Amino acid sequence: MAEVRLDASAFEHVTATRDVQTLTRPSLSYWQDAWIRLKANRRALFSLFIVIGLLIFTIFGPLFWRVDPSEQDLDQVSQAPFADRTARIVDAYQSWDGVMALPRGAGDTTATPRIELAQPATSQAVRLVWEPADLAHGYRIYRNIYPDDGGSALGLPLGEVFTPGRVSFEDRLDLTARTYHYTVVALDQYGAEYPDHTSIAVEVARVITAAQAEERGLVESAESVAVGDTLLLPLHPLGTDYLGRDMLARLMHGARVSLFIGIVAPALYVFLGILYGSTAGFLAGPADQALMRFADFVVALPFLLFMILFKIAFGIGPGESGILPMLVALVLLSWPATARLVRGQILQIREEGYIGASRLLGARTGYLIFRHMIPNTMGVILVTLTFAVPGAIFTEAFLSFIGMGVAPPTPSWGSMCNEGIKTMLTHPHELIFPSLFISITVLAFNLLGDGLRDALDARMRSRE
Amino acid sequence: MTRYILTRLLQGIITVWFIATATFFAMHAVPGDPLSNEKATTELIRKNLEERYGLDKPLHVQYGIYMLNMVKGDFGISFTQQNRSVNDIIREHFPVSATLGILAIVFAAVGGVLWGALTALYRNKLPDIVIMFLVILGISVPSFVFAALGQLSLVTINDWAGITLLPVAGWGGVGHMIVPAMVLGLGTMAFLTRLMRSSMLEVVNADYVRTAKSKGLPATRIFLKHQLRNASLPVVTVLGPAIAAITTGGFVVELVFAIPGLGRYFVQAVQQLDYTVIMGTTVFYGAFLVLMVIIVDVIYGMIDPRVRLS
Amino acid sequence: MSQPILTVDNLHVEFDTYGGIVHAVRGVSFAVAPGETLAIVGESGCGKSVSVQSIMGLIPMPPGRITQGSAMLKGHDILRSKQIDGEDIRGAQIGMIFQDPMTSLNPTMTIGDQIAETLIVHRKFTHKQAAARAVELLAASRIPEPAKRARQYPFEFSGGMLQRAMIATAIACEPAVLIADEPTTALDVTIQAQILDLLSDLQRDKQMAMILITHDLGVVARMADHVAVMYAGQNVERGTVDDIFYRSAHPYTLGLRDAMPTLTADKSHALQPIDGSPPDLFSPPIGCGYFARCPNAMRVCQTQMPEEFHVTGDHGARCWLHHPQSTHVVPRLFRARDAGDAA
Repeated sequence: MAEVRLDASAFEHVTATRDVQTLTRPSLSYWQDAWIRLKANRRALFSLFIVIGLLIFTIFGPLFWRVDPSEQDLDQVSQAPFADRTARIVDAYQSWDGVMALPRGAGDTTATPRIELAQPATSQAVRLVWEPADLAHGYRIYRNIYPDDGGSALGLPLGEVFTPGRVSFEDRLDLTARTYHYTVVALDQYGAEYPDHTSIAVEVARVITAAQAEERGLVESAESVAVGDTLLLPLHPLGTDYLGRDMLARLMHGARVSLFIGIVAPALYVFLGILYGSTAGFLAGPADQALMRFADFVVALPFLLFMILFKIAFGIGPGESGILPMLVALVLLSWPATARLVRGQILQIREEGYIGASRLLGARTGYLIFRHMIPNTMGVILVTLTFAVPGAIFTEAFLSFIGMGVAPPTPSWGSMCNEGIKTMLTHPHELIFPSLFISITVLAFNLLGDGLRDALDARMRSRE
Repeated sequence: MTRYILTRLLQGIITVWFIATATFFAMHAVPGDPLSNEKATTELIRKNLEERYGLDKPLHVQYGIYMLNMVKGDFGISFTQQNRSVNDIIREHFPVSATLGILAIVFAAVGGVLWGALTALYRNKLPDIVIMFLVILGISVPSFVFAALGQLSLVTINDWAGITLLPVAGWGGVGHMIVPAMVLGLGTMAFLTRLMRSSMLEVVNADYVRTAKSKGLPATRIFLKHQLRNASLPVVTVLGPAIAAITTGGFVVELVFAIPGLGRYFVQAVQQLDYTVIMGTTVFYGAFLVLMVIIVDVIYGMIDPRVRLS
Repeated sequence: MSQPILTVDNLHVEFDTYGGIVHAVRGVSFAVAPGETLAIVGESGCGKSVSVQSIMGLIPMPPGRITQGSAMLKGHDILRSKQIDGEDIRGAQIGMIFQDPMTSLNPTMTIGDQIAETLIVHRKFTHKQAAARAVELLAASRIPEPAKRARQYPFEFSGGMLQRAMIATAIACEPAVLIADEPTTALDVTIQAQILDLLSDLQRDKQMAMILITHDLGVVARMADHVAVMYAGQNVERGTVDDIFYRSAHPYTLGLRDAMPTLTADKSHALQPIDGSPPDLFSPPIGCGYFARCPNAMRVCQTQMPEEFHVTGDHGARCWLHHPQSTHVVPRLFRARDAGDAA
């Protein structure tokens, strides 16, 4: 090997002033390290922001969006988000005599040749006139929100016309601003339908009378608007539900129910579980055995049945929301899992070398509990709590969904889903928004739980 | 092994007895009774009905009679559906729920093991990221939303195809089962995938897998013989609770897809406080779940030699 | 040393971790010849295991990475190929035994199957042949009742028995090189001696080259022909076992010897621990890794990494004290010049 010539001073002996190599990584406490690891986990951090955002939405939202969640806006029922909310002022409703016509007798037609509108269709009334069918003794009128697909389903039967010669029908049934498909079917002398029918698509315009506008507080007085003016109906940013209630307000108030149960119930039962589990763990022996057998039995109880029985047993008085019975039932039935976990942890930690070492150094029981046992179980408990939140939110949603949760009109995300699923095909937003909120909340808590577990699990620290 | 099974069965019977007792007294503690709906219009009719159903006797006597009949395998007659015995209701509707549940659990277990193993093998690569995103979604979306989405997609698919490829609701042929079973199994599959992934990640770094690599075995052999088998053990242990979860989830799916399963009857019975139907279905489900957990444990013993031989 | 069968030259291995890059191995070289045992010694975390695992291709990549160096087996660089002349290296050419036998065997497979699968894969044995051979191998590893034992699962074995089964697995295909990574660390002392005897007997019979990783100098003295001393990811000294024990040429080796209890030493002679701890390999020192702990440190040691200086024969040391310009005299440190003087 070619040796390098070096300066002679390079070979001087160094003794005292050697800067000793120190570990370059700073030493961190358990929680500091956990926080750094959590911050490094972008998904967990993002979820934390979502959770905080949800809490702000729930707590402060109703202060800014002061719409009553149970107020019905009958002009805008099942309104989609950002839909047109203009309404034209019209005269008050005037009755209509209808139209009479005789068949032209051109042949054996059983189908109505043509349907027309007697006047532009409005949400006040839709007036249909048709040309008579030769063999018709009467007519049945159907209304559908889907186009006629060849006759399998014609929709809602609105009524029948049996007055000889009458070829008109007026529909005033719950009209909203949308497209309807009307079908007229000719009937024979026994009232049975002929197979042929004719359909028409009708675009209904939203109208309101001046008196109604005043009554609903849309204008100062009925005189300030004239027929033909358009005015804006109340804003519903996320639309309305099937009763015309504001979705945004309901989601905010529903969040109060869902998040309240979702956070308070786990907090309570985890606390109960910690008390029970640590007592069992400390007592050990036969007392522990007895306590844990009881916990096993509670686990074995059919959860759903007892949730419902609890609720019925509590009874929901008029005007009560039924939140409290649900909370109590959840707490009473859910604690054993945490209890078992904590007991296991305590039993395990009791046997750890550092507890023995600490005891040898003269530590008292209290010191052992607060200095060693609680910090070492804290991580597991925190993670359990985070994962318990989605569970409780799901339970609330599930119960409300099968109609066993909060009592109407109190909104909760679950009961909103229950209502929304009925109109899923026509007004998907009524299902989409509450289920989106449930999913995002549960997602955020799940990701946060994952992040916390990774951050707090000491084993993971050495692995990565 | 036989002794182990017998002990477990005995414990199971005690658990079922406990469930039955707790349900019985909890149910009777609830204000109102099945007759308070509309049938008992006059005092006399009410009295006659009470006598017929034995409701006039003291509670502990009723309990004794019920337990005796239960041991004989007789769950009594429904309060709300005249002349229909609870045994008949169970006999007719349980097979529907069971078929749905078994399909769902098979779907969930097979899917969970495969996806979980796949994500662990491709850790932090595209397949892992995509599957875990779907899994998180699967865990975070409530079952009734899946049910609604499942039904919606059926409608869309049928519309698009122009014919009814798969029926949207009801019960009958295989076509009725596929989508509800998938919807029912989805949440559990997501949960099992997560479990399998973490268990697989532990196994991937296990010492014996390193040994297998040092032996120069082909990757497929290492995967099948050394990783998959060991990693799926924890999945088997949670199958018992998973079956319970699927049973509960069955209510919603049966409700949404209009499937005549036992779950719907149960919810209905609870709402109407139909004592005998509640008791019958609860005890039956309880016994079924206890049996399932025992079977799962026995199966676990068969695939894990450490349990089998100790 | 006779013609080496495996020669590792200037191996560098890095790992990406969440705290940064760990330079676990920073230039390791050693060689081993058939029928001979090379011991690699060093304290925990010095890179012993990582070096041999990277040769076996057992380092997960990523996060691991071999950045430099070569490992020549029968004239082929095995860091870059998995096979030599159509035969697998892992399992067939090189066998390996691990530290913890309790966790190194698959808990859900019988011992016999675990031995047999190597033969089925590499030697194309039928299942029946392989099972029969597995029983023979267990017998050769001195396991009583081998036929019965082959049908048992790892949890039915004791630690020592498991390590014998491990050895049977490793030698199943009669590899040219056997790597034993701390094979006796997890076992109690009486079993240790039996396992070491078994290893040296098998090695002699089959003329295998063996690489023995250990931090137990007693094991080194008993088993090794050659020794490589590792510190902070480098081999600081290598030579025959006599070179290392009697003619130590590196202050670290001297320190290790002083920290070792001996039977002959005076009772009043206290063991001398080496003060301080090894450098953090997240940011390895520019100069000599032992600088901070070395009683003979010089200015150059801090600023420049020493090359390996040739001492005598196969004996070499990475230490500036061997530089011709170095005038320091360290008592007990063996130097080539001293050898010349003595002669």
